[in-house]
Amino acid sequence: MTRSLTTRFASLMLLGLASPAAAAPIAHREVLPNGIVLLVAERPAVPIVAVRALVQAGAVHDPPDRAGLANLTGVLLTRGTTKRTGPELDSAIEFVGGSLEAGAGRDSIGASLRVLKPDLGLGLDLLSEVILSPTFPPDEVTRKIDEIQASIKRSEEDPGAVAARALARLVFPGHPYGLPVEGTRESVARLTRDDVVKFHRERFRPDATVVAVVGAVTVDEARREVLGRFGSWARPASPLPGVPTASAGREPREEVIPRDLTQATIMFGRQAIRQTDPDYFALVVASYVLGGGSASRLYTRVREEGGLAYSVYSYVSPSKYGSAFFVSAQTRIAEVPKVRTLLNAELARMTREPPSDAELSLAKAYLVGSFPLRLDTSAKVADFVSAIEELGLGLDYADRYKERVARVTAREVQRAAQRFFIPETFNRVVVGRTP
Amino acid sequence: MRRALVVFLVPLLLGAPPARAADTVVAETLDNGLRVILLEDHRSPIVSFQVWYRVGSRNERRGATGIAHFLEHMMFKGTPTHGRGQFARIVEQNGGQDNAFTSQDVTSYFVNIAADKLDLVIELEADRMHNLLLDPKEIESERQVVIEERRTRTEDDPGGFLGEEVASIAFKAHPYGSPIIGWQEDITRITPEEIRAFYRTYYVPNNAMVVAVGDFRAGEVLERIKRRFGGIPRGAAPPPVLTVEPPPNGERRVVVRKQAELPIVYLAYHVPNQRSNDAAPLEVLSTILSGGRASRLYRYLVYERRLALEAGGDYSYFSIDPNLFWFWATAMPGQTPETLEKELLAQVERLKTEPVTDEELRRAKNQIEAAFVFQEDSIHRRASLLARFEVIGGYAQKDQFLAKIRAVTAADLVRVAGSWFPEDKKNVGILLPKP
Repeated sequence: MTRSLTTRFASLMLLGLASPAAAAPIAHREVLPNGIVLLVAERPAVPIVAVRALVQAGAVHDPPDRAGLANLTGVLLTRGTTKRTGPELDSAIEFVGGSLEAGAGRDSIGASLRVLKPDLGLGLDLLSEVILSPTFPPDEVTRKIDEIQASIKRSEEDPGAVAARALARLVFPGHPYGLPVEGTRESVARLTRDDVVKFHRERFRPDATVVAVVGAVTVDEARREVLGRFGSWARPASPLPGVPTASAGREPREEVIPRDLTQATIMFGRQAIRQTDPDYFALVVASYVLGGGSASRLYTRVREEGGLAYSVYSYVSPSKYGSAFFVSAQTRIAEVPKVRTLLNAELARMTREPPSDAELSLAKAYLVGSFPLRLDTSAKVADFVSAIEELGLGLDYADRYKERVARVTAREVQRAAQRFFIPETFNRVVVGRTP
Repeated sequence: MRRALVVFLVPLLLGAPPARAADTVVAETLDNGLRVILLEDHRSPIVSFQVWYRVGSRNERRGATGIAHFLEHMMFKGTPTHGRGQFARIVEQNGGQDNAFTSQDVTSYFVNIAADKLDLVIELEADRMHNLLLDPKEIESERQVVIEERRTRTEDDPGGFLGEEVASIAFKAHPYGSPIIGWQEDITRITPEEIRAFYRTYYVPNNAMVVAVGDFRAGEVLERIKRRFGGIPRGAAPPPVLTVEPPPNGERRVVVRKQAELPIVYLAYHVPNQRSNDAAPLEVLSTILSGGRASRLYRYLVYERRLALEAGGDYSYFSIDPNLFWFWATAMPGQTPETLEKELLAQVERLKTEPVTDEELRRAKNQIEAAFVFQEDSIHRRASLLARFEVIGGYAQKDQFLAKIRAVTAADLVRVAGSWFPEDKKNVGILLPKP
């Protein structure tokens, strides 16, 4: 691949980039009597259905000494229900060529179903079972804890993962976003089946749930099928528990993590703003000009002209209770100082002068124009609309986004840079040998 | 992906659009030999435009490995009409996404973009098919970028590193033994003259195909392609790859020590490609072994025995020349590579004597068929699949693929396992973590 990272990060940046070409509603939305938000997008051409269910029970809800609890709960959903064992669930969905995966993110636990249209009934049976009546069998809990521990151990091989973990700790001190979704080896070792059962009982509730159904299905059909399986799920009387928004970070810090590798991974990061902040759209454009694509300043200076890196980019990463902005590059050991200098210089230049007309128009044209490509499959639409709903942005967010990005001026980009790109405000992590 | 470059095509194999009556592919070979394959898909106002060259690491000679991939990078470095970086810049300015990859057999470039921008892409692709600058200064700079890419993918990635070693011992004659990205010494040495000669030899219309799927009228687009590509002169027929890998005469084994957290074991056997009647059974076998959590290697090595963090099997159905069937597993902490190898081998041996169950066989066939339908949801993947089948002998082979899969019996699987997985001719790779 020539630019694999650009492509990979596109999905992470989806919310930051998106805007539809057409003004037609992206999905039908209704609130079911028990509080579930149902989203339906009809895409009749291909006989498949993608369903995405999100429950506000992500890692941000982990108790302070139980990092990784949401993740463990998420991966255990498909490991046994009152009706089927884990292997039976696997066999049932795979026999029809479908897939059912569950796991946790920072803000929510998500389950994704993909089936051929004739298997939608079966798929929704399985999906509702894993959400509503997982049994968390003790031997499956033990097995998953062992697997998560092994995955955490193995991720120590991956300098990008090591750097991202260390940087999150520095960017979000004292907030759950500072801890890895999967937890740490110490915190995972403390988790018990009782924790999981309690977490599921307290956090899984219909008024914290979004179900997006996308594909060869009508609104009526989707409503009927979802109500038939989730309709009797009772809404608790208690209010939804809140989560504190990340407070401002402390003084920026730097960490060097030695690894015997041929490259060093350099990551800068700091807190930023969510989609609800008026400067957000200017920040997204600023980040694109700086390190968003293969016409960006970082790509041009560090890769094209310098030959210093294969991978160099920046991106905004907004979540429900906080946001961050990151810059990253991988380079050979000897060039670490030079790359750091370039990253700093390009960040600072963004604060000193507005982008050129050509840069601004390219960034805006790409961010607005590439939107239809990001919603070209049913699974992508299901992921998008459920995420929009979860973040409380409204189904018109895509239209607003397009309109707001199109209005961003060069001066606003510079102001956003002045607010977020001052080099001295970044936490820094380097993984690798340093020269 | 564990072995990104070595077995690049494998994960794409599962899935492709089924032949439906409504799908009318328009195919024509222009006078200059350019193959054009077009398929209308009017669901969204977008198009995937892809140019595939029939050249990959397979066409490289010893001492110049990695040249095909190096040239892929240079294809973004400009022509006299569109200077360095302009290709990506123009595509982004028009809201499009572009990238490229090099495999053992092909080099592929794609642009996904709004359908009304298609002429622009036709112009850009036609231009760089014939007018690439290949400025020596740019080559020197990009050489460093490619070496950084190699560091990321191979030198600093235990799985990628081991995969390269195993392929290199498995093939003693055929270029499939060389890494797609090339040996570092070769990347460092290759001269601009060699790259220029490689470009002139292989980037000719008679060695390329244009594949597009999207919201257009095929007849009109064909005329536009003829107008712009038709003037590019036909080149001499590129030299055929004549090397036939001699049959293995014994077991080959490589053990590498590297900074890593968990041991990895690879087993690889020489197998026939899609020209053989054994290809469809091998494809089914690969799905039975690693298609999901109900598959054999997961169920047994990961789930029941808890020996592996992950395990699977891979077959390259689309390989132009006969290639390898891979088995692989990453050990759980505390498990030895010896145990893992023994258990992987036991699974291989079991295939030779014990027919798979009817459920396993039906599940694998259903998974392969469903994946074909899922793939149809994306115009990019529809285009890629047409191209893949065209590379191995004609896009229409797509229509026979499922029939071949459906015809596979449990006895076929016992037979092909017996024929192609000889215990005394296996290739074994072990990665031992170095503390």
